[in-house]
Amino acid sequence: MKYISKILVFVIAGVLITSCGKDFLNYQPQGVVTQEQVSTSANVDKLVIAAYAGITNDEMIGPITSMWVYGSVRSDDAYKGGGGVDDVGDVNKYEQYYLTTPDQGGSDWMAPRTWTNFYKAISRANLALAAANTLDVAQFPSKAQTQAELRFLRGHSYFMLKRLFNKVPFIDETMTQDQILKTSNDLTNDALWNKIADDFKFALDNLPEKQAQVGRANKFAAAAYLAKVRLYQAYEQDVNHNVTAINPARLQEVVDLTGQVLGHYGLQPDYGENFLDGFDNGVESIFAAQFSLNDGTEAGRASYATGLNSPTGTPLYGCCDFHKASQNMVNAFKTDANGLPMFDTFNNSDMVQPADFQTNGVDPRLDHTVGVPGHPFKYRPGSINGNSMVYQSSWARVPGVYGFFSNMKEQQAPDCACYFKKGPFMGTSKNVDFLRYSDVLLQRAEALIQLNRQAEALPLINQIRARAKASTGRTKLLDGTSPSNYRIEEYKDGVNINWTKANAWKALMFERRLEFGMEGDRYFDLVRWGIAAETLNGYLAVEKTKRDFLTYAHFTKGRDEYYPIPQREITFTKGLYVQNAGY
Amino acid sequence: MRNINKQLKIRFFLLVFFLGLSVASAFAQVKITGTVTDASNQSTIPGVSISVKGTNTGTMTDIDGKYTIDVDAKATLVFSFIGFTTQEIPVQGKTIIDVNLASTAQQLEQLIVTGYSSQKKVDVTGAISVVEMKKIASASLSSGNVMQALQGNVPGLYVTKSGNPSGASDQILIRGVNTLGDTHPLYIIDGVPTTRPEVFAAINPGSIESVQVLKDASACSIYGSRAANGVIIVTTKTSAKNNGKVNLTFNTNLSVLSEKKERYTMMSSLDRGKVLWQACVNDHTDPTAAYGEIYAYTWNGDYNNPILNTVAVQPFVGGNTNYPAGNTDWQDVSYKKGYVTNSDLTLTAGNDNAFVMANFGYLKNTGMLVYTNYDRINGKLNSNFKMFDGKLKFGVNSQFSSSNETGATPDVGSAPTPGLAISLAPTIPLYGIDGTYGGPIGGGYSDRNNPVLMQDKNQWDNSHNSTIFGNAYGEWKILKNLVFRSSIGMDYNAFKQKNIEQKINNGFVTRSTNSLALSTSDYLSIAFTNTLNYNLKTGEHNFDILAGTESIKTSVENVTSTAYDFAVETEQYFVLGAASGQRTTTGFNTGSSLLSQFGKIGYSYSDLLLASVTLRRDGSSRFGSDTRYGIFPSATVGVRLNNLSFMKEMKEINNLKVRAGYGEVGNQSIGDLAQFGLYEARYGATLNDYSPGFFEQYYNIGTAYDINGVNTGTLPSGFVSIQAPNASLKWESTKEINLGLDFGLLSNKIVGSFDYFMRTTDNILIKPPIASAIGEGQQKWLNGATKENKGWELSLAYQDETKGGLTYAVSTNFGAFHDKITKLPEEVQAGYPGLPGNTILGHSQFEVFGYQSAGIFQTPAEVAAWPTQVGAAPGRIKYVDLNGDGVVNSLDQDWIGTTLPKLEYGVRINLGYKNFDFSAFGSGVTGRKGIDAYIYYNNFVESRENAGPGTLNAWTAANPSSDIPSATITDNNNEKRTSDYLLRNNSYFKLRNLQIGYNLPVAIIKKAGMSQLRVYFQGENLFWITPKGYIGADPERTDINRIPVPTSYSFGLSASF
Repeated sequence: MKYISKILVFVIAGVLITSCGKDFLNYQPQGVVTQEQVSTSANVDKLVIAAYAGITNDEMIGPITSMWVYGSVRSDDAYKGGGGVDDVGDVNKYEQYYLTTPDQGGSDWMAPRTWTNFYKAISRANLALAAANTLDVAQFPSKAQTQAELRFLRGHSYFMLKRLFNKVPFIDETMTQDQILKTSNDLTNDALWNKIADDFKFALDNLPEKQAQVGRANKFAAAAYLAKVRLYQAYEQDVNHNVTAINPARLQEVVDLTGQVLGHYGLQPDYGENFLDGFDNGVESIFAAQFSLNDGTEAGRASYATGLNSPTGTPLYGCCDFHKASQNMVNAFKTDANGLPMFDTFNNSDMVQPADFQTNGVDPRLDHTVGVPGHPFKYRPGSINGNSMVYQSSWARVPGVYGFFSNMKEQQAPDCACYFKKGPFMGTSKNVDFLRYSDVLLQRAEALIQLNRQAEALPLINQIRARAKASTGRTKLLDGTSPSNYRIEEYKDGVNINWTKANAWKALMFERRLEFGMEGDRYFDLVRWGIAAETLNGYLAVEKTKRDFLTYAHFTKGRDEYYPIPQREITFTKGLYVQNAGY
Repeated sequence: MRNINKQLKIRFFLLVFFLGLSVASAFAQVKITGTVTDASNQSTIPGVSISVKGTNTGTMTDIDGKYTIDVDAKATLVFSFIGFTTQEIPVQGKTIIDVNLASTAQQLEQLIVTGYSSQKKVDVTGAISVVEMKKIASASLSSGNVMQALQGNVPGLYVTKSGNPSGASDQILIRGVNTLGDTHPLYIIDGVPTTRPEVFAAINPGSIESVQVLKDASACSIYGSRAANGVIIVTTKTSAKNNGKVNLTFNTNLSVLSEKKERYTMMSSLDRGKVLWQACVNDHTDPTAAYGEIYAYTWNGDYNNPILNTVAVQPFVGGNTNYPAGNTDWQDVSYKKGYVTNSDLTLTAGNDNAFVMANFGYLKNTGMLVYTNYDRINGKLNSNFKMFDGKLKFGVNSQFSSSNETGATPDVGSAPTPGLAISLAPTIPLYGIDGTYGGPIGGGYSDRNNPVLMQDKNQWDNSHNSTIFGNAYGEWKILKNLVFRSSIGMDYNAFKQKNIEQKINNGFVTRSTNSLALSTSDYLSIAFTNTLNYNLKTGEHNFDILAGTESIKTSVENVTSTAYDFAVETEQYFVLGAASGQRTTTGFNTGSSLLSQFGKIGYSYSDLLLASVTLRRDGSSRFGSDTRYGIFPSATVGVRLNNLSFMKEMKEINNLKVRAGYGEVGNQSIGDLAQFGLYEARYGATLNDYSPGFFEQYYNIGTAYDINGVNTGTLPSGFVSIQAPNASLKWESTKEINLGLDFGLLSNKIVGSFDYFMRTTDNILIKPPIASAIGEGQQKWLNGATKENKGWELSLAYQDETKGGLTYAVSTNFGAFHDKITKLPEEVQAGYPGLPGNTILGHSQFEVFGYQSAGIFQTPAEVAAWPTQVGAAPGRIKYVDLNGDGVVNSLDQDWIGTTLPKLEYGVRINLGYKNFDFSAFGSGVTGRKGIDAYIYYNNFVESRENAGPGTLNAWTAANPSSDIPSATITDNNNEKRTSDYLLRNNSYFKLRNLQIGYNLPVAIIKKAGMSQLRVYFQGENLFWITPKGYIGADPERTDINRIPVPTSYSFGLSASF
């Protein structure tokens, strides 16, 4: 009896187990691929596309294409804005230099996320590079060019990271996860700059002058970017972020590299076209983040990094009135009787009331940069859907705290095909330029002045000013008059200025501020020049008398030049990363 | 060929042999019939379990208390029913056996399903709780979810509720938290496994025979994989022998729900103005500049000695004369009374050879939050029949349900309406003069919408679930004591979600493009289970042997389509094809399979010694081929001490059993593709597609790029890494020791049970965050952590009757656990709270890490003497410099509380007198310290949102004793940091259910053809007690973005025909 039942158990169990089949537990993943499948010559360019997408994959609370938080709000150009000081309070900490600990009080908004997002972009470039490195040139003739594009993209992310965080670990495509976790951020300042420069040098040596697809980096973009790296590198910093020397050899490299770009690009006839739909990848754009709408994605691969920044009090826009021009920024556009900037006296009186913009001379770039009550917004003096596009004080959300002046460059008109409103925020398909020809001209001018060749810099700066002077056609009111009293002239040595090195230097610094006003470069310029502490504390001393919320703001020299390495990254690497001074 | 023939011949021979044997043995069977009555009042008792002593066979009495059973002429019948003393009656040639059962608190003779077989409760050696369905049936009707009714009723089962109209539970934990991942228990419904709690939720209480909770690993391990978090076994009715007569039971319940008791007190428009003024002057900000568009202030302008002369609300929102400023109580306008009607009808009919049960239910919840609602239609059809003198049995258990839910919705900026109903500024009116909804206009308002508008505009949103669940099975009684059973089970769910986003024009927060997103998911799980049960009895030794195999295959398929621009905004027009704008489609397919073999040997010796050994081997497709099998053994032993000869003399002790068990169970609750390194072509996703959130909607993470610079059209696209591989990924396993004691004293007037457990979970599956430098999509699953969990459960009941005929019973249950992480790879620790030297090791992941506060700074001198704290000032919260380095910073954090309770308990009192019955049930938790969400509102000022009245009493130099920090908008002291200031003891005791019922006299209802008619009134969630310092309304409301759990009043009736 026992024996028989055992047999029966055995028989039935045997039938059942074998009936299930061998492959029952081998599940084949659906809709995904393995690394071997993607790393083929047919797919490498897809990885390159993904790497380009990587440098534009940013978020409002961790931007990587727009530096409005880190370069504009943290400088004297702009205030945070929004619904009050506690609205996206992390940026208030940056603006008031209250960020004293690397953990941001538990929040990971903004700087820590930006860190992560740049490393995501770097890993995409590294993944594609690792795949490209394995390919046979015979089967993949454009191997070197592909590698060059990828190193360009990687160099771009490291450059941005270096400006923000100073000490960053340099990860390349050869490293395993374990090696990455053992890679510290303790390279010297110069060594890290050289690593970044190496990527751009490789790009410069291997990229063609012209690419069939306009979004790809070319040889001139590599030269211009390498020049920018060398310019930053020229200002040598100690561990406490003091500029200790300016390296003439590096400056000469800047002159040589920018020289390669001269003549291959130009300035848009009207300054505003750099910020207007229809002029993407124009003559001035050297390298840009390409954005799109109606592209098969739900809300477009649009630029949302500045999505919080549109005016609020009009049905034409949505939310949330962040990134407000400072009074100091508005005043900086004042010009003297000669049409030149007022280097030392611009901030002695405020331009606030409509009449102030008529009694003072005004650089036309004001009306391309700042929303001013009574002035046409985004070149639209009329109405859209019955709502006036002339900027009004009611478009400001909390004028008592942040004043009335808004940003304008990152805005587009609501009826633009490039404009998409998703929820309360807006995105645009307008490109974000990482490198413009005007920047190349001013980099070159800067290097020349520091090399005591200020005479050679004069025509470069004047080229910029001449274009600015010509940029008044779009900013007119409906009646054809200009909302401001435009008065701008070129520098004429011995006529309206003594073009000494000291004056040329002041002129260069001021020109950069006006030309790239509120674009997010200002803060990095100040840190590069080693004058962030004195400039910003000087700015705050006056600005706080006009804006109560800045009462306790103070820039701490030797700390606030850079963001802290995010605490979580230090913890993840078991304390391997070295923290920046002061945190 | 020859071999096969030979095998066939052997099989045929065996078959004939066995058939012959069983036919022969059938000749010794006799058919017994009878009626079981209550000795106290001679009324018949339905549902009495009748088993044949020493076997697993048995039956139950029907609705009239009658039964029929075929048994061996020498057998002894065991009659048992909850609350009555078990009787054993030898057949001895009788064919009619009528029994009078005496009432006691005894529950020991009940049959318990213990994993592919059943045994008597008295013989159970694992930690298993049996739910008394009768006591919770009406509570499950009012919520439409049996699980909610279980809350507080089962020691060791922790359930938290939500106020969603569907009645879904937020958290269901058995014996706490043993892992770092999924904590859902496994449900076995009529033998078919599922991990979807909604399948259980959709069973009408009228069709449930029994619910059991298997808690320890020795009880669960037979279910192997997925049983690591405990098992809930549900058995629905599969037998009733009433000779084909149809019995009908009807339950209905009408409930009124209200959330008024759960509301937060918020400020009026004018009070808010005062607080904002105070906050501004404290911050040295001009209040008129900041809030002049909402409030008109006159004050002395002196920041050092500010005096507010007058404050008035500006007459119009943002100066728009269509929207006069209001004083809106947003909770009051966002919620209304909800009504729940829930009815179910059960028909049963059966005889020896065939049984059928049909059950239908309909639930409708009109929702408390405006424009929300839920309805569900469900049914069950169980039937089985026997052939060849009962040697073959075939049956089908099936269950279907179809539900629709319109729930709380997010606003244009993704903020859910329940939170908006608390926080929206009161000066915004519900409606403007022209009847359009009010919204934020002008300065000072947040970018949030009117919650009533959002609910209105989302009233066509619908989540539709259709479930088909059940099995078809056959049983072949090969021999009298050898049964082969084969079952094919199916768990199918079709989920269809319709999200209509209409255009919104609400102040400055607008949506200019409308859209429809339609998401459909098909889930299918097929379980094929085969078991062989063999019972062997030699002398006093009894063996139950089980062997079986099980294969489970699960697949999920999803398609989501979105289309934009609908010319007309009517519910009927929102169909994908009607859109004129762009459209997108996305979707995924995934699946997994499990293959298992298992066996169990149960042994008992003379009602004295009980023991069992089980072994299960599970293979999972989620692991690589070298690691995919896990082996999970268990063993138990029990001694029924009361049957020892010397104890039989002790009449006070009716039952005394000690139990011990050891078991292992596995867990594989990871993604189906966790072992693989994966890349995907992610064209244009946002992070919202992977981890939904507010800013995530705007965060492009795709691989498509406009490399041609044309701004539109189809883009070139690439691949992205989404997961790093881990080929050595293997089973997570839990090892548990359980020690238990069951007792019955004083004629079983006192019964109780105590269990102590210790468990260790190893190789816990985690996907930890990593250093950003490693790059995108490089996280991977690891077998990383170890957790330990210890705890105990106690249930204790007393039941008696007075001479006057009043029956009373008090039953209590207690459950406690303490879990901690004991091992975590170093590189993973940063993904959890903690600091080097004070990591999460030794703590639960539900513990809170943060700062310790020390009251409020009173004077500048006190600030100066305190360690350096950024933002310190008089009126601000002091934080403790724990490490004594003179600076208060992130290094000064410690473990400050736990959000899971140390002890959960329940108390139930039942009274019965004549035809009246009364019950009160309450339960509570202690030792829990979580964030009191109301503190954010009551103690802090939000610049753009409303606050609670506590802020009116905030610290000022003139009000130095306040524990609410000085009002501020800038919050330079970062007072919303996680600290014990926000953490409060949120333990509670709640009176969950109060019920009074009346059974109409049989003499009256008989005329209407009824055998029973009970009517009752019930109140739920009536009041609660919270500790001092807890200021929020309902301690069970820990997430303000959820609809609160309501207080409800019900009327119900239950009738049998």
